Amino acid sequence: MDIKNNKEAWQSGVSKNITFIVTKDCQLACKYCYLVGKNINERMSFETAKKAIDYILSREDEFNEESVIWDFIGGEPFLEIDLIDKICDYLKMEMYRLNHHWFNSYRFSFSTNGINYHEKKVQKFIEKNHEHLSIGITIDGTELKHDLNRVYKNSGKGSYKDVVRNIPLWIEQFPFAGTKVTISSADIPYIKESVLHLYSLGIKEVNINVVFEDIWKDGDDKLFENQLIELADEIIDKEYYKDYACSFYSEHIGKPMDIKLENQNWCGAGKMLSVDAAGNFYPCTRFAQYSLREKKAWIIGNVNDGIDKNKLRPFLTLDRLTQSPQKCIDCEVASGCAWCQGENYDAAETPTIYQRAVAICKMHKARVRANNYYWNKLFRKLELEGEREEYEKNKPNEPLKIC
Amino acid sequence: MLQYLVILLSDKSVPFCHYENKNTGNLLSLNGLKDALRFSMLENLSVQYVFPEGGLPAEYLSVIEEVENVKIMPANSPYADKADVLIFNGLSNLNPIKQGVPYVVRLYREEFFADYEKLIPLFEMTPHLSVVFKDLIKFNENDFDKYKTVLENLSKTIETLYASGKTPQFNLLTDRMYLDKMRNCEAGVKTITLAPDGKFYICPAFYYCGEKDVNPLGIKNPQLYKLDYAPICRRCDAFHCKRCVWLNKLTTLEVNTPSYEQCVTAHIERNAAKSLLAAIRKHGKFLPQMPDIADIDYLDPFDKIKE
Repeated sequence: MDIKNNKEAWQSGVSKNITFIVTKDCQLACKYCYLVGKNINERMSFETAKKAIDYILSREDEFNEESVIWDFIGGEPFLEIDLIDKICDYLKMEMYRLNHHWFNSYRFSFSTNGINYHEKKVQKFIEKNHEHLSIGITIDGTELKHDLNRVYKNSGKGSYKDVVRNIPLWIEQFPFAGTKVTISSADIPYIKESVLHLYSLGIKEVNINVVFEDIWKDGDDKLFENQLIELADEIIDKEYYKDYACSFYSEHIGKPMDIKLENQNWCGAGKMLSVDAAGNFYPCTRFAQYSLREKKAWIIGNVNDGIDKNKLRPFLTLDRLTQSPQKCIDCEVASGCAWCQGENYDAAETPTIYQRAVAICKMHKARVRANNYYWNKLFRKLELEGEREEYEKNKPNEPLKIC
Repeated sequence: MLQYLVILLSDKSVPFCHYENKNTGNLLSLNGLKDALRFSMLENLSVQYVFPEGGLPAEYLSVIEEVENVKIMPANSPYADKADVLIFNGLSNLNPIKQGVPYVVRLYREEFFADYEKLIPLFEMTPHLSVVFKDLIKFNENDFDKYKTVLENLSKTIETLYASGKTPQFNLLTDRMYLDKMRNCEAGVKTITLAPDGKFYICPAFYYCGEKDVNPLGIKNPQLYKLDYAPICRRCDAFHCKRCVWLNKLTTLEVNTPSYEQCVTAHIERNAAKSLLAAIRKHGKFLPQMPDIADIDYLDPFDKIKE
């Protein structure tokens, strides 16, 4: 199988996601950012990264997924482009030297705020690794919407202008790249115009999720539903659905879920691996201390002693029913309702990953209603125009499931 | 529903399971003890006192008799003749003052492997012998092999005793033979502990290891202490396993998830019980209502879930 070019394979269990938290620093202080412990001090050394790589690559029998995504996050990862370049060179050399099955079945992945995307060192890195790169720039929509949240940490000034100038270069280099948009309470009135704005910038895939934290106000669900309905009208009336995607709308959400056949965990925490500057391993970045408001970091080992597999057992045996309250098990529109294991842990009454946070319940239900509207309207239009069959044949891929 | 209240009379109360106690010697206050007894009567809880080594002030000895109780005592307690359960620390001094009550022997695995034969005389002195490892979480692959061998050896003795009409009870080998469903520790479900600081904890180990106290009538996430919410255990048939929620928390960070070491040791015991049951049945009819213990191809049920 050609893993590198197979989108399904990268999303499913055949690829291992390994994240280097190269820095906990960022130029921005986004108001919705879940990273509550960002700082300028915790920067990964090459020595720590090398130890992590040596540990992982020397255990091919344990890390036996068909492919690997080497993920670099921060803070802002491109602040450490020199380190990342050195890590990636070392990874390539070692995978080759060891004749590792991940050689030529790997990807380097970045989520960046896009501010220094144009800089020489970053561009040189992109040129050098382009065949194996996936880069997502986060832009939240219109200038107004983006600058509501994504502001510089020192001045409080919005970052939109410094990001949007790099979008054409990014799209030229990665024409199929998508962006990730995060919606908090204050953003709801700007959803429609923001998605359309991103389409107008040439971004064809917009992945959106509402924050999992318990910040939603009375009436937010109705406002949200209205925004999604208005967006649905625009997408359908102006036929954006032919070339553009928006993760809000999916044919597969809003159905009851079978308690036996659909009992899988939503989140991949525990199947992923994350390492930070101190050399500690985590089941996902969200379990590092800088991501947690209330709880202690969930450390599963370190680069010197390796992974304590006992600390992964709760993640690898976690299922939907065991962690869900009865109202979620009985929910008539359960499918597509997401959760983040890290947020579940952080919000739980006791230090457990087995208590599902349900703060997004009313927002999911609002999304389901708008989603029903979208598909009913779209399918009727296609049928009336005799294009339903054609649409089904050439249906665009469902956007990625994101966290 | 809670049924039992364990009362640690002192920080030095004898440890009776995998944990260690504290040496500070703080006593539960007399008022704390009285409040606990009132609570036990209001909630219909059976009281189990855990005694320290040495004596207790006279007024305590009087107050503790205000409710029906079970007394768990160190084997060298001055009150050992009144004990309902005796706790032995290691294999070096197994001279019980009292026979006919359950014994618990706490020891390290190396001590067990080297001197397990010292346990044999106890089989006929006690209605139930429990061996508890202080270092269960440190078992490694070599230890598992040794453990299997030692249990095979002890099985031969027990088989001989059964063949002669005696029925010694030994937690590592015979408990599983008598069970057709889980019977675990149930701390946090049926049992709650009052510590010398006057607060309630899931079990003594939670107190001694500095975990947070709980409201006994409003334990948070109570379902996680129950079998149905333990994804590995609810599929398991090592019915005799303690399913120790404290060791779970210590090793996997979740009270509902056992460690590899706890699962494998429990399955080595389960398999030894399977062989012992079959061997005893060769001597005649034994537990006819109980089915054979099934053949399995794993020692850690986690492996089955991953499949």
